[in-house]
Amino acid sequence: MLIDINAYVGHWPFMQLKYNTCEALGQRMDRFGVDVSLISNLNGIFYKNTQSANKELYEEIKASKRYRDRFVPFAVINPIYAGWQYDLEECVRKFGMKGIRVYPKYHDYEINDPSLIELVKKARDMNLPVAFNYKMVDSRQRSWMDIDYVAYTPRPEWTLKNIFPIIKEVPDARYMILNVTNSMQLNEADAALFNKANVLMDTSGRTLTDMGSLLKTQGKERFAFGTHSPILDYLTGMLRIEALRENEADAATKELLRSGNAKKFLGL
Amino acid sequence: MNIDRRKFVSRSFAGAAGILAGSHLKGLSAPGRLTAKQEEALSSKPEKYDLMREVMKYRKIDAHAHIYFADNSPREQLDFGERLGIEKQVISRYLSIMPGTPEQFREYNDLTIKAIKKYPDHLLGGFVLNPAYKKESLEEIKRCTDAGMIGPGELYYQVKINDPLYYPIIEKLIELKMIIFSHAECQLGVGGYRMKYNGYKEPNTSIPEDFVDIARRYPEGIFQYAHIGGGGDWEYMCKTLQHSPNVYVDTSGSNNAENMIDFAVELLGEDRLFFASDNSYHQSIGKILASNLTEAQKKKVFFDNYNNLLKKGGRNVD
Amino acid sequence: MKDVMKYRKIDAYGNAYADDKLAAGQIAYADRLGIERLILSVPVAKQMGKTPVEFKAYNDLVILAVKRYPHRLAGQLTLHPAYLKESLEEIKRCTGEGMTGMKLYNQFKINDPVVYPVIEQFIHYKMIIHVHGESQLGVGGYRMKYDVDNTPAISVPEDFMDIAKRYPEAMFQYAHIGGGGDWEYACKSFRGYPNIYVDTGGSNNDENMVDFAVENLGEDRVFFGCDSSFYQGVGKVLASGLTEIQKRKIFFDNYNNILKRSGCGLG
Ligand SMILES: [Zn+2]
Repeated sequence: MLIDINAYVGHWPFMQLKYNTCEALGQRMDRFGVDVSLISNLNGIFYKNTQSANKELYEEIKASKRYRDRFVPFAVINPIYAGWQYDLEECVRKFGMKGIRVYPKYHDYEINDPSLIELVKKARDMNLPVAFNYKMVDSRQRSWMDIDYVAYTPRPEWTLKNIFPIIKEVPDARYMILNVTNSMQLNEADAALFNKANVLMDTSGRTLTDMGSLLKTQGKERFAFGTHSPILDYLTGMLRIEALRENEADAATKELLRSGNAKKFLGL
Repeated sequence: MNIDRRKFVSRSFAGAAGILAGSHLKGLSAPGRLTAKQEEALSSKPEKYDLMREVMKYRKIDAHAHIYFADNSPREQLDFGERLGIEKQVISRYLSIMPGTPEQFREYNDLTIKAIKKYPDHLLGGFVLNPAYKKESLEEIKRCTDAGMIGPGELYYQVKINDPLYYPIIEKLIELKMIIFSHAECQLGVGGYRMKYNGYKEPNTSIPEDFVDIARRYPEGIFQYAHIGGGGDWEYMCKTLQHSPNVYVDTSGSNNAENMIDFAVELLGEDRLFFASDNSYHQSIGKILASNLTEAQKKKVFFDNYNNLLKKGGRNVD
Repeated sequence: MKDVMKYRKIDAYGNAYADDKLAAGQIAYADRLGIERLILSVPVAKQMGKTPVEFKAYNDLVILAVKRYPHRLAGQLTLHPAYLKESLEEIKRCTGEGMTGMKLYNQFKINDPVVYPVIEQFIHYKMIIHVHGESQLGVGGYRMKYDVDNTPAISVPEDFMDIAKRYPEAMFQYAHIGGGGDWEYACKSFRGYPNIYVDTGGSNNDENMVDFAVENLGEDRVFFGCDSSFYQGVGKVLASGLTEIQKRKIFFDNYNNILKRSGCGLG
C-alpha cells in the first residue's frame, strides 16, 4: 500500500500546474499505484483568509465518495489572521481535516511568533500534526512576485535550523517536515532534541540523496513516501524508496516507508 | 478515515477522466456531486505500479554528471549508475568560482582522465577549459581528445558562451564534431537578466539569450544548454531556445518540477532533450518516467538523442 | 431599477453637509436610489474635533442639515472623550435635538478607558455607537512593520472586540467594511461578538463582500450604508446572493430595529 503524505490541489499563481484537482490527482494516484494522499489546498497559501481555501477543498472532496475514501485533507491555518481558532475547529469538526499546514514565510510571521506557538500547542492538545516545509518552489526560478528568500543571497532559503525553534518551543507536538531540500544540520544539542521529537519527513525533498544512510542516522520510523505533487514530479519521491537495496531497507522497512509510518503517525 | 483495502475496490479514478473535464479552469470550485451512475462507472483500485521495472527498462546515457576530488568519487556516482540502470555517465570536473588558469583546468581534467581510464565501461569524459587562455585551451582540447574524452564537459562561469573569446574554441569543437556544452542559468538578477534583482552570481554566467546568440552565429555547432532542472525558470529557457534548432537541453538538476519534461518536449521537440542528472540521480529519472512522453520518446531522451549526436564524431557508445 | 426601488432603505452611514447644493445633491441621490432615510454623521478628516468648540460646531452642522430635510435625515453627534464634562453636556443637547446615536472618529481608540463614560451614556440611551474602523497593514497597531504613517489611535477590529466584551450591553457599529480595509479580516474578527454591527459603506464594492459579512455575522448584524458612495452602496447589496428577506433586513429592518430601541424607529 502507498500513502502520499505531501500532495496538493489548487493553484500556484505564478505558473500553471497540471494534475491540480482531486480528479486529476486521483488519476495520477491510479496510474502510479498510490492508494491514499494527504492533500491541502495551495490557494490557502495566497488567500489572506485561508478558510476559503479549506472550504473549497472540503467542497471538492465532498463531491465524490472516491475522493472521501482516497484523500485525507489538511487545513491551511494562518495564526496571525483573524478568526483562525474558529477556523481550526470548523476544519476538524465539520470538514474532517486531519492535520494542519502552516506557511510562516508566505503568511509573514516568524517561527517563534507567539501566535504560532499558540496554534501548535492547540494542535498538540487536539492531537493534530502540524506540517512545515522547507520551501514550495526553488527560489532560483521564483517569480518576481514571489517571496524573496533566495539561495546564495544574504536572505537564503530555509534549512532545518529555521524550522527547529518551534519544535524546541513545543517539543511534545507532532510535526511533519516536508520537501526537505536544504541542510538538515543542527548543533549537537538541538540534533538530540530533534531526534527525540515526534517528526515525520517525506521523501520528496532533494536533500534525501543517500536514503540508506539517513534511515540509519534518523531512524526508519521518521520517513514516509511523499511527492510534493503537483509541484514536483510524481515519481521521484517514490524512487527514493524503491531504489533502496535490500541491505539498506528490507521488505518490512520499505513497507514502513510506503505506508506504515504514515498510518501510525496519523492514526489512520 | 478507515483504510480498508476492500473499500478501494470501486474507488478508483481510472476512467473518470472527462467526467469533470474543465473543472480546473474554475479554480477549485466544487464540481458538484457525482451521480450514482457516474460513481459506479469507475473502475477498480489502482494497480500496483512496478517503478523499478520501469526504471530498468530503458538504456540510459547521463549527458551531464560530475566527479569530485573526494575519496568517494567516482565510486558514489558509479553506485547510483548501477542502482538506477544508467549505462554511461558523461563526467567532468567543472571549474567553480575560480580564475580557471591552465594549471587549474589541466589538474581538473587529469582527474577525469584518471576516472575514465579506470572505469571505461561506465564513464565518458568531458574536458574543461578557459577560453581566456586560447593557446592553452586549444592544446588542452588536443591532449584530452587524445586521452579519449568525447568533448567538452560543463564549461563554466569564467566566460559567457557567446563571448568572442569563445569563437576559436567553438570553431575547433565544430571541426571535431563535438557537443558544445556549457553551464547556464535563468534566474532574476543573474548574468544580465533583470539585474534590479541581485542574484549574487558571477557576472559571466551564460543565460538562454547567450545561447540563442552563439547558436545563430554558428548554425553548424551543436550546443548543450545545461540542466533545465538546475533551479532556473525552465519555462523561460524553453521558450527562449525554441527557435534555435541547434541548441539541445539536458534535463539534469536537482529540480524535478512536474510537467517540465512535457513542456520541454512540447516546445523543443522530442529530439532536443538529453537525459542527465548533474548528480541528482533520483530526480533525473523520476521526472522523465512521470512525464506523459510515449515509450519511444522516453527512449530517445534517455539514450538515442545523445548517442545520435555522438555518432557524428564516431564517439557513440554502441 | 425596479429591483433598486423594491426595497425601503436606511443609509446607516451618511455625511452631513453645510452647503445647500451638496445637501440637495445628496437628497437627489437618495431619491434616485430610493433611500428613505440617511443617518448623518459629521464629515471625517485626518484631524477633527480637537476642542469642545469644534465638536459643537460639527454637531450644529448636523442639526442644521437635519432641520433642512427632517423627513429624510437623522443625525449622529460627535464629541471628544478627553473633554468629559463638555461631552456629556453635548450628548444631552444633541439627543434633545433628536439625534439618534454617536459617531466617533480617531481621537482615541474605542477601547481607551477615556471613552468608557461616554459608552456608558449610550448604553443608557439605548443608542448605537458608530466608530470609524480600519483594517489595513500598518495602521492602528496592526502589523506595524508595514507602517503607513496614519493616525495611531485609529480603531482596529481587535479594539472593537475588546470594548464589546467589556460592554456587552452596548451596541457598536464598525464603520464601512467597504472603506478600503480587509473586510474578510474585520468580519472574521467579529464573529463571536453579537453587539458589534457592521455597515457596508465605502467606495469599495468587492463582489462577495456582503455575502461574506452575512455568512460570518449573520443576517441581523449588517447594515446597508453608503458613506456617500451611493451606486456602490446599493449595487453591492443587490448583487449579493442574499434572499429578498435578507436584503430587506440589510437595507432597512436591521437598522430600524436599532432605532426602535431608543424610540426613534421609522414606521
Ligand atoms: Zn551547471
